[in-house]
Amino acid sequence: MPHAVSTGTTIVAVEYAGGVVIGADSRVSTGTYISNRASDKITPLSDNAFLLRSGSAADTQLVSDYVRHMVHQHESQLQRPIDVPTVANLVMQIGYNNKNALSAAAMLVAGYDAATRQGHVYAVPIGGTMVRQKYAIDGSGSIFIYGYCDSEYKDDMTREEAESFVAEAIALAMSTDGSSGGVVRLVTVNEDGIFRRLHAGDKSVPRFGEEKDVHKDLTDKANAMQT
Amino acid sequence: MSYNGGAVIAMTGKECVAIACDLRLGIQNQTIATDYRKVFRVHDKLFVGLSGLATDMQTLSQRFAFRHNLYKLREERNMKPTTFANLVSHMLYERRFGPYYAEPVIAGLDENNQPYITGMDLIGAMAPASDFVVAGSSSESLFGVCESFWKPDMDAETLFETLGQCILTGVNRDCLAGWGAAIYIITPTGITAKTLKGRQD
Amino acid sequence: MSSSYGDINVSGGIGLDSESAPFNLELARRNSMIERQGMKLPRYLKTGTTICGVVYANGVVLGADTRSTNGDTVADKNCEKIHYIAPNIYCCGAGTAADTEATTNMVASALNMHRYGTNGRTSRVITALTMLKSHLFKYQGNVSAALVLGGFDINGPHLFTVYPHGSSDSLPYATMGSGSLAAMSIFEAGYKENMTKEEAMKLVADAIKSGVFNDLGSGSNVDLCIITKEGKEYLRNYECPNPRPYASQSFSFAKGTTPVLRSTMLTLKDVVVEEGADAMEVGA
Repeated sequence: MPHAVSTGTTIVAVEYAGGVVIGADSRVSTGTYISNRASDKITPLSDNAFLLRSGSAADTQLVSDYVRHMVHQHESQLQRPIDVPTVANLVMQIGYNNKNALSAAAMLVAGYDAATRQGHVYAVPIGGTMVRQKYAIDGSGSIFIYGYCDSEYKDDMTREEAESFVAEAIALAMSTDGSSGGVVRLVTVNEDGIFRRLHAGDKSVPRFGEEKDVHKDLTDKANAMQT
Repeated sequence: MSYNGGAVIAMTGKECVAIACDLRLGIQNQTIATDYRKVFRVHDKLFVGLSGLATDMQTLSQRFAFRHNLYKLREERNMKPTTFANLVSHMLYERRFGPYYAEPVIAGLDENNQPYITGMDLIGAMAPASDFVVAGSSSESLFGVCESFWKPDMDAETLFETLGQCILTGVNRDCLAGWGAAIYIITPTGITAKTLKGRQD
Repeated sequence: MSSSYGDINVSGGIGLDSESAPFNLELARRNSMIERQGMKLPRYLKTGTTICGVVYANGVVLGADTRSTNGDTVADKNCEKIHYIAPNIYCCGAGTAADTEATTNMVASALNMHRYGTNGRTSRVITALTMLKSHLFKYQGNVSAALVLGGFDINGPHLFTVYPHGSSDSLPYATMGSGSLAAMSIFEAGYKENMTKEEAMKLVADAIKSGVFNDLGSGSNVDLCIITKEGKEYLRNYECPNPRPYASQSFSFAKGTTPVLRSTMLTLKDVVVEEGADAMEVGA
């Protein structure tokens, strides 16, 4: 059988003072081939909650399709927007009740509830656990940024701080993890709505360590040669 | 496909079609019978050849006959070759994960007496052709001879000679097929069955 | 809680084992036994394939090569890999030939039935996509169909790739099959947004030819299918870059070349002979 499609991924979600910032890389691979270099792993589940997918693409797409369906039913039954903890709970139930079939679906749920003025970040890893966290990371690239995230995370960041925290974390993972790459997609959810941002190409994706130095070295050399 | 051995070819001509099989039945290298026909008549203008595991060839030919009889009772007419091909394809795909070990070759004349031939793999993937279709333990060499001997718009006699040469030369280097061959030439007016002399080793 | 979600069973399964098995597995045990005894499983027909598609200003262009293989043998030199789904939706298939054929046929007839029930309203590409992926997911990659789905519906042009395990991607340009790398290299070099129909057709044909010439599993001709708001244009054998390079030798065998032991005219079974029948009386 051919390789299963997997989102060898880096996904990050963080709560800040007025909402949540979530981010993901855009690489989807089948074995060593990148089958989609600009995918969107930030899947809306309701008007205010998103699913960040990592692991098997087939499994996580199925979960998001099911949960979206259930959110629709729930909202039309209660005649009000669903809240984020409920959405996360639905994801958890699908994950828990089908833990044998969905053996490769590691997900994060994040969103902002306007009614309670509260941001939520949940980790729903393989097996159907559900843990609320201040910030959560997952995917193959996440192992490279635990240190960074632990040292850089602060409670009650500003929106700008939170956005650069997420973007830098993902860019850092992308530079080390072969299965993460492409562009950085960011979504900020707060009282004012949903804001999508994209760090595309070489220019706006932050660079680190050797990459940065090599780039600087080359520029310096080029400048020296010109003068 | 190499347990019982065998070879089947179907070939088109101008308003005629022919289907041939070798006559050997074996169990691996032991020859069991030398008059074992692998081509079955569905109706006067439609034949099906089977190659593969003998037990499945027999089961399938019986099930084809059964299904065609039911169709005739219900519809009071014969199946069109395309209808029959789709039936066979579905019967095989139904067993996608536990297939019959048999590759069918279907040859017939449609309602306008135009030839229709199609091959199929063991799970029912159709490969209709306008020239020839082969199946069996020596399909590579059958492909080779057919590829060079076939030409368009052959009349029934030329078609017979061409197909005869193809089946006899095609199985010449196959230990598991041979011992003569049988050919059915289907024309709008009748069916001619011929038994060919081949090497007996 | 489960009852409030209709037929979706929140506490049970997600439909992996709940549906009745549509495949007959009677022979599976026998087959694995005789395989253990040393008989080789016959190989399935595969379409070692190059298929692709691209979205342009007014629609989508789908493309495919026409080679079907059985192991190392070319089983069909001119097969059709662009399958009908609906009048406004077509689907290129790679993988096991029987699986792509059966899966696309199933969705085509389901959509056809759906149109009967909805006053002939035009089918949507997303519906076809959902049907395809849920079928493939159910079989956990064992139904090996890798698809490029394209169509034009009320929401405009759409292009999706569907993988055998049931995942999908929505893309402006997509390739699949063993020749997908060769084809993707052409797309990555030549794709532009908002191309004209002619530009898109050339790009797709070039991508398929890249597969035909650089991938051993792909070959023969180029099929194209252009789908727009106005309808579809199916260009079978749009390019034939591999004509037979040698003239067919005119072998002719004189009558009687083939040694015949026995020749009989078979009795026709379907001829009804009515003896002494009179002409039927019509009217009074």
